[in-house]
Amino acid sequence: MQSRCLTVLPVWLFGSASIGMCAPNPSQWVPARWDGGPLELARRAKDKTLSAEAREAIAKWYQPATLDLLNGTPINALLITFSIGASSEAEAKQQQLAGKYARMARERGVAVLGVVYPGADSLAVARGAVESRLDGLVLDGEFPAGFAAKVESALRARNSSVPVVPIWRDTASARAARLSLLAVEGVRPSARNLSDMGIRAGPSAEPWIESNIWLVKSLRGGPEWRPIWINQQPNPGLLGDYVRCVADAAVAGGRWIVAPDDDLRSRLFRREAGALGTWRDIATHLKFAEDHAGWRSFLPYGNVGIIVDAASQDPEVSNEYLNLVARRQVPYRLIARSALSQELLAGFQAVLAPDLAAPTGIERLLLSDFADKGGLVVAGPWWGNVPTVEPFAEIRIGKGRAVVYKDNPPEPEAVSKDLMELLEPDVLGLSVFNVPSVISYVSTREKQALIQVLNYATLPSNRVTIRFNGNFNAARFYTPECAPINLPVHAAGNNRTELLIPQLATWGAVLLE
Amino acid sequence: MEKFCNTFSRRDLFAVSGLAAGALAVKAQESGLSVPAGPVSVAKVVSYDLDLVSQFEQMFDQIGGLGQRVRGKTVAMKLNLTGAMGRGRQVGLSAGQTHWVHPNVVGALTTVFAKLGAKRIRLLESTFRKRYGAPLEDTLLNDGWDVNAIKNSAKIVEFEDTNGLGTAKQYSTLKVKTSRPYIFSAFSVNHSYEDCDFFVSVGKMKNHEELGVTLSMKNLFGITPELLYGLTPQPPGASQWVRERVFHYGQVAPPAGVPQEIDLTSDRYEGWRMPRLLTDLCGARPIDLAILDGIETLIGGESSGMPGTKHAKPGLLVVGANCVSTDAVAMATMGYNPRAGRHEAPFRLYKSPKDHPAEQLVPPGETQQYADNTALMGEAAGLGTADLSRIDVRGVPIKHAMYDFEAHWKGQAPV
Repeated sequence: MQSRCLTVLPVWLFGSASIGMCAPNPSQWVPARWDGGPLELARRAKDKTLSAEAREAIAKWYQPATLDLLNGTPINALLITFSIGASSEAEAKQQQLAGKYARMARERGVAVLGVVYPGADSLAVARGAVESRLDGLVLDGEFPAGFAAKVESALRARNSSVPVVPIWRDTASARAARLSLLAVEGVRPSARNLSDMGIRAGPSAEPWIESNIWLVKSLRGGPEWRPIWINQQPNPGLLGDYVRCVADAAVAGGRWIVAPDDDLRSRLFRREAGALGTWRDIATHLKFAEDHAGWRSFLPYGNVGIIVDAASQDPEVSNEYLNLVARRQVPYRLIARSALSQELLAGFQAVLAPDLAAPTGIERLLLSDFADKGGLVVAGPWWGNVPTVEPFAEIRIGKGRAVVYKDNPPEPEAVSKDLMELLEPDVLGLSVFNVPSVISYVSTREKQALIQVLNYATLPSNRVTIRFNGNFNAARFYTPECAPINLPVHAAGNNRTELLIPQLATWGAVLLE
Repeated sequence: MEKFCNTFSRRDLFAVSGLAAGALAVKAQESGLSVPAGPVSVAKVVSYDLDLVSQFEQMFDQIGGLGQRVRGKTVAMKLNLTGAMGRGRQVGLSAGQTHWVHPNVVGALTTVFAKLGAKRIRLLESTFRKRYGAPLEDTLLNDGWDVNAIKNSAKIVEFEDTNGLGTAKQYSTLKVKTSRPYIFSAFSVNHSYEDCDFFVSVGKMKNHEELGVTLSMKNLFGITPELLYGLTPQPPGASQWVRERVFHYGQVAPPAGVPQEIDLTSDRYEGWRMPRLLTDLCGARPIDLAILDGIETLIGGESSGMPGTKHAKPGLLVVGANCVSTDAVAMATMGYNPRAGRHEAPFRLYKSPKDHPAEQLVPPGETQQYADNTALMGEAAGLGTADLSRIDVRGVPIKHAMYDFEAHWKGQAPV
C-alpha cells in the first residue's frame, strides 16, 4: 500500500484544518462512507428496515475501534455524517463527536470529510467544518441553487481552503464542471435477465447490465487523469457485489465511495468473521486498483468517436448512447462538440453524432468531409435524406458513408446494436467473445494496450476470447485475486492479435506489449 | 396437465369447426399408412463433463450401429443454436446450458463420427446476423466453445453458416418427398444440406413458445436461408423477421425463383402452419440421425429472453434414426403425451398480444392459443411413428428417464 503521508502537500490543501496534519492529497483519497452517530440515526429515524443491531452499530460507529477496520486497507478518506439540518443542539453534538473522531483519524493519516444533507445551514456547516478541522465537505442530495458556493465562500471567509465536493446527480453538469475532484451518483452494478424483468426479448438479447464504466470514462474530461468518485449503495443480498462496485468504478480510473450496507456495518462492528472476510475482499480489490494507479494514465482507445454535445436537448438520451455503445463492447472516445475539427476527426474511422442539436454549417462540412475521406458518420434526421420506412438509411459519400436514422433522436439501443453490423472488426478494433455479462474497456499508452474486462454475473465467465488490432507478442493477465500470468498470444489475421482468458471471476486486465 | 384437457378456448371452438383437432391425432396405422418405427436410445447423463464419446458410442450401438452409413462419408450436423449469435443468455449460464446444443455434445459427436470413419464432418447452422460472411466459428466463440478442439477431433471438420449461399454459387432445391406436402413442395437451401451423405439433426430438448416443444424436427427450421427468403420486400405491417413473415404467418411469398406455397388460401395461423412446414422440411431434407441434448436445458421457451423461462438439468440424451419416433420418445421423457392434441400440454399455449400480430390471435384478443403436434403431422405424412407402443426404446426406460417439464414450467400465461 502506498504511504498515506505526502512528502509535499499541494498549496490548495493548506487550510486551517490541515496545517501540520498528515492527511493525504485529495487526488489520492480512497473514500469510504462512514455514516454514524446520533445525527445519522436521526436522519434515518423513519427507516423501518434498520435493525436493532444496525442501529447500535450506527450509534457507536465513531468509537475509536472502528478506525482499526482501516488497517491493511487503502481507504484513507472517511465520509462522516456531519449535518442534516437538525436542531442546533443535535448538530453541535454530532459535530463535536465528528471533530474528536476526525482528530484520531488524522493521527493515522486518514482524511475526514463531513457529509452534508439537504436542510443544512451553509454558514453553520462551514463554521462546524473549520472547528472540527475537517478535510473537506461532501454535499449529498438536492440542495438549493448556490448552496455549494455559499458553503465554499463561508469556508474561505474563515481561511479554510478545504474542498467542497457535491455529489452530482446530473451527469451533463458534472461533465461540464471544471473540478479537480468529481463525485457523481452512479448506479448499482449488476446483470439481470431481461426475462426476469418481465421483458420479452429475442433469442440474441443479452442480460441487462447496469454499469458505471461509461460514466467514469465520460467524466474524465481530458488526457489528464482526475479523481472521480462514484456514489452508490451495493446490493446487500449479493455476495461479490462489493468487489464489483470497486472494480466497476476503477476500470476507467474512478473510485467507488466504499459504502458498507447496514448489515455488513453491524457485523463489522461486532467483528464477525464473515463480515471481516468481505471487508478483506473489498480491501484486496481497492489495493489492486491503487497498486495499478499507473493504468489511469493510459488514454481511452477507440476508432469510434461519439460527439458529446453540451447543449443536447435530452442529456439522458445522450448518456444512453455512451452507456449502450460501451455495453456492446465498442471501444470509443468522446469528442467534445466544441473541439470538433478536421485534425481531431482524422484520428477516427467512425463518428456518432445522433443527437447533435442544430449543427452549424461548419460542423456539417467537417462531418461530410470526414465521410468523404472514408469515415462513417452516424447521424439523426438533422443530416437530411431521412428514410421514411426503414429505421435508417446508408448514404454513400465519397469514400465513406453516412447512416441517417429516421427517429429523432435515434433510439440508443438500436444505434448501439446496429453499430455491430455497420462496423467491420478492424474498425471496432476490439472483438470480445463469450461476454454477455461482461463489459470491456480498452486504453493505450505508447506501444502498450490495456484491455480490462469486468464480469457483472455472480458466476465466473469462462473462455473469453479477445482479438485486438495490432501485432503484440506478449500478454500479461492481472486479477485482484491471483498473481499475474502470461497468456499465449496468436496472430489472428488482418494484423490482429488473439488471446484467450481461461476464466474471469470478476475483474481482469490484459496488458498487451 | 389434467386441468387443460377439457378447457377449450374460443379459438379452439373455431378450429374444431373446421379441421378437427382429433383428426390430426389419428394413429398412422389406423389411417392405413405404413410408417417407419426405428429404435430410440435414451440415456441419463448428469453432466456435460462426463465421457460423452463413450456415451454416444453406446447409444449408437443401441440403435443398431452407424458404421456402414458413416464410413468414408460426409456427415453434416445441423446444430440447434437458437438465435445463432451466442449473446442471448441467462446471467451466469452459457447458451449451451440453456437453449443451444452444448459444445461438449458436439465435440463428442465429432469424435465419434471420426472414429466411425467419416471422411468429412460439417457443422451447420444459419446465423441471425445481418452481416453475412463472418465465420460460424466466431459465433461459437461467443458461447465459449473450444472451436480448435472440435476442429482437431477429426481429420476434416468444416463449419458453414447456411443462412446464405456460403461457399456455393447457388442454392440447392430440395423437393419434399413425403406422401403429402402440406405448405411447400420444395425449399431452396444452402448447398450443405444437399452435399452430404449422412445428415444429423442435433437438437435441444426444450419447450417452444409457439410450438409447445422444439426437438429434432423443429431444428430443421434453421436450414431455411434468411438471405434468400428475405429478398422479398417487407410490406408495411408485416413481421420484421424474415422467417416469421414468410413461414410462420405467410404474410409474404418467397422471392421469385424460389419454390412457392402450394395453397395461398390455406390457414395463416402459425400454430397450424409451422408443424406442417416442419414436416415438409423434414421431407425435403430427411434426417438420418436425430440427437437430442437434454442434459441441461431451458423450460418454458426456446430462448432465454422469454419471460417465465427457467434453466433445468433433466440429464437426458435421446438418439434415434427416425426423427418422428425420436421426438415422440423425447416428449415422453419430458413428461408429455407424444400423441397429445392441440388442447393439451404442451400444445396449449399462451400468446402475448404484445408480441404477436393481431391476426394471430383468433378471436381477437384471445391469448390461449394452440399448435398442432409436429410429431403427429410427421406421422400423418409418413415420416415415422409417434406411437410409443410401436417404438423400441432402448437404454433407460422412459419411466426412469422422465423429467416433468410441465411441472417445472412457471408459465408465461397469467393463469
